Formats: sequence, structure tokens, C-alpha cells
Amino acid sequence: MGLRPLARLAAGPVPTFVVPGRGGRRAADDLRLDGRLRLVDSPRAAAVLLVAGTLTDRLLPAAMLAHDQIPGPRATVQWVPEGRRDRLAGTFSAPVLLRGDVDVGAAVAATYRELLAGDRPSDPPVYPDVPPAPWRGAGPYGQGGKGMSGGVPYGRPLAGRAPDRDGLELDRLPLEIGPLFPPFPPGLILRIDLQGDVVQQVAGWENALAFGRPPRDIFRRALREPVALAELEVARARHHLRWLSGTLRLHGLPALGLRVLVLARRVGPGDVDAVASLKRKLERSRSLAWATRGIATLQPEDVRDGPGGPVARSAGIRDDLRTEDPAYRGLGFEPLTRGEGDARARWRHRLAEAVQALELAGRAGDRLVEAAGGVESPRGALRIGGSPSADLLSRLPALLPGREWGEAVALVHDLDLDMEEAVRAAREEAA
Amino acid sequence: MAALGAALTVFLAGVAAFLVLRWAGDALSPPRPTDPHRVPFQGGRPPEVHAWSRFHVRYYAMTLIFLAFDMEMVFMYPWAVVFLEEGLVAGVEMLMFIAILVLGILYGWREKAFRWA
Repeated sequence: MGLRPLARLAAGPVPTFVVPGRGGRRAADDLRLDGRLRLVDSPRAAAVLLVAGTLTDRLLPAAMLAHDQIPGPRATVQWVPEGRRDRLAGTFSAPVLLRGDVDVGAAVAATYRELLAGDRPSDPPVYPDVPPAPWRGAGPYGQGGKGMSGGVPYGRPLAGRAPDRDGLELDRLPLEIGPLFPPFPPGLILRIDLQGDVVQQVAGWENALAFGRPPRDIFRRALREPVALAELEVARARHHLRWLSGTLRLHGLPALGLRVLVLARRVGPGDVDAVASLKRKLERSRSLAWATRGIATLQPEDVRDGPGGPVARSAGIRDDLRTEDPAYRGLGFEPLTRGEGDARARWRHRLAEAVQALELAGRAGDRLVEAAGGVESPRGALRIGGSPSADLLSRLPALLPGREWGEAVALVHDLDLDMEEAVRAAREEAA
Repeated sequence: MAALGAALTVFLAGVAAFLVLRWAGDALSPPRPTDPHRVPFQGGRPPEVHAWSRFHVRYYAMTLIFLAFDMEMVFMYPWAVVFLEEGLVAGVEMLMFIAILVLGILYGWREKAFRWA
């Protein structure tokens, strides 16, 4: 096989498309730091489909479609983290199945090498090769209908018309975005109507990860038992930095995003200066300021009477459950707020909160947080039977219409939704 | 007779080359994409409607300004040729012309024609 040495040479970082299932979001994010993989935003650019976490019934069809959209030769790797069930694992024809604490990067790279060397056959498609509606041969040119205004070209009907905001009659494109659209939180399926690049209406949403119980992180644990304030605040700072890493990637600074991700994984009470200096550096960046100033602005009315959190605080609402906690009052805690409410205010505010959280953690000693009905999580007020993600999600139909698509994507990212947390409250109470 | 034989040889060689190239093309090309493979990726859901749609070209203001400055360059070439002969008068005239065009930029700026988001 003369091609083998060539195949070995060609095996650089593996273009991988990740399907984050339940319990796989954070691990999938960390794979960005693995030099053997290159996480891509579309299955078209990938060679390996990596299913990280537990699949749900609603995620499975999307994962199968993404699988079929990877150009061959392709392979599937399914990775089920420790303590997670392998629901629906093995749905794909011949996946490499990994379990628990393994070196995922090495396994994906090895699979890719086998694929290139011809030792492993390419995955066959899952879906049958049929168009959604018969169209071949219909119409004068065989395009599926009568001219440009009828029929089902390539098996799909044409969009209907509706008045545009400028008084023109233009096509209204109904779209279902997600659950694997990379800038959106994994699992969010948003049904929107677009005219050009303007969102006209949010027709609804679905949660593809609504299954089982919400994840048990430290903030949810604090609802039921006293936890160390220092631990809670370090977790908050890490959460905000992790979010910032995704924000930088979204606004076109992926390398800087990776550096922030490295920081987010190891930051502790001693790193106040490192985060403060990162904040100063980013605030000096002209390009980031240009990309985010005046974008996706929220008015105080948009977020009033909600879960509070950094989104509301960066729009001028001074809601913070920590002000009611004696442990925080003893440290002289004062919530930070900002007035602008745009995308720039949101990242600056979260960075400021990360610095504040690390400072609090450094001074906390062995103080404990005893939740009286609610905990201030990095997304807002977390209560038993309710979650900030679920509340923010229900506000999307009011927040998105009228915005351009780019702004809408920035806003959905900035709300920092967690679809696993947003499972129905009733489920959790039953648990 | 010899000429006919030569023509036949060329014809057969041509047919053979055609068949070989057809076969090589099929053998080397990736398999035909399936229908699900060909749909646009929008996060894992297939599109409901076809993407042939009429939408508002909102960048038209930027396009008009581009066109104005494109045409300005057309005027500047002959101007550059006579600039040395005409001297200051030509310079002032061109400055007035550009100043009028700059008003267009300022208008576009106010209308957020250059906003990229």
C-alpha cells in the first residue's frame, strides 16, 4: 500500500464535529485544548463525529443527520462519561465506544489514522437516500414545479411571503436552528421566522436535552446543604471565564478564547491579578469593543422580575441573592451593576464579577453559605423547582424579534443558557 | 483503404480514451452524496422550505457608495493626465468633487450603512 506513508503525513489535527449530549458540554469544550483535534463548526468540515455524553431521543435524529453530512471517509466515536448511562449508544453502525475517564483525543486520532490508512471502512449513511418530497421530472425544466413560484424544487416547498418591516412583500423563511448549532447552547432548538437577516418571530423552542434530572453542580448542591463560600465563588469565577472563552470565539478571537479557557480551568483565589489584568487587556482591545458595543442591547424592562444574574445586572437591575446572605454581608459584599445592557457591557460585567468572586473567595476563610430558598448561581437566582435558564428561555420570543441574525446569535450566547438545567421544574421536584 | 484504416484507428482510440477517462473519473471521485448529505446544515434539523427566497438587500447603501467611489476613480485618471498643465485650478476642482462625495459617506455613516453585524 503505497498510500500509507502519505496517509500518515496527512494526519494532522483531526477535524472533529462534536455532538454534546447530556453531561458532555464541559468535556467537549475542554477538547479544544487538545492539539490532536480541531473542533469544527459544521459537519461538512469534519471527518470524525464525536458524540460526547448521553444522547437523548430528541438529540439522536440531529446527530444522525450531522453524521450523514460528514463527507466520507468518516467515522463515529461515542464517549460516555463516568457515571452516565449509555442510552442509545451503538445507534450508529460501527462506532468506537469509549467509557469513563479515557484519553478521548488519542482515541479520535487513532480512529482517524485507521480511516486514512484504509484499515477502517467509512461509516455508511444512516438515513436513506430519498428526497423529502418527489420532485424529479416535474416542471418544464425538471426542477420540481411551475417556474419560481410553485412546486417543490429539490423536494422542498418555497417560502411564503409576508410584509417586511420596510413595507415590502418579501419571503419569510421558517427555520429550525439547533440543537447542534455551535454558537447556541447545545440542545436548544429555536424555531424562528427570518426575513433576510432580520428575525421576525420566534415561533417556539424545544429542549433536546430535557431528559432526567438537572446536573448536580456546586450551586445546585448549595440549595440543599451548606457549602464553603470560597468554593462557590471560585466556581463562579471559573464559570464566567469559561463563558468568556466562548464569547471571544464567537466574536472572532478564538486563540485568545483558548488562553482564557486555560485560565478558566485552573483559576483560584490567588489569581485575582491575572484576571484583573486580562480584564484591562480586553477593555483596551479596539476590535472587541467595535464588535460588541451597541450590539444586542437589553433594556431594563426586558430582564425585570426575572432571575437577575449578570445579564440583568449588566442592564442596570440590582438583583442579587447574595445581598440577603449573612455570610456575604459579613464580607461587605455589594453587587456590581452596569447601565449599558449591550454585549460589551455583558462581557465586561462578567469579567468584573469574576474578579470580585476571586477576591471574595480569598477573604472568605471558612465561611459557609446556607441557602435560604435560593442560591445566586452564575446565571442568576437558582431555586428548588426553578432555574434561571428556564426563565431566560421563556423570554426569547420577546427578546429576539426585530434583531438582525448576528445580534440574535450574540444575545442567545450572552444569556448563557444551560438546556440541561432548564428541564421542567416538575421533574426536579419529583426527583 | 489505408486512409480509412487510419481514421478507424483514430476513432477507436478516441472511444477507448473516452471510456477510460469516464471510468477513471467515476473510480476516483468520491461517492455521490446522499440526499440528507446535501441539505444545508442548520444545526441538525432539515430545512422545511427551499432556500430560493426573495429578501431585502440591506447592504445596498454601502453598494451605492462603493459605486460612487468606483466612478470617481474613472474621473481621476484623465484628471491626473491634465493636472500638471492645469495646476491649482484642477486640484481645487477635484477637491470639491471629492468633498461632495464625502457627504455621501457621512450620510451612509449616519444611516448605519457600514455597520457590520
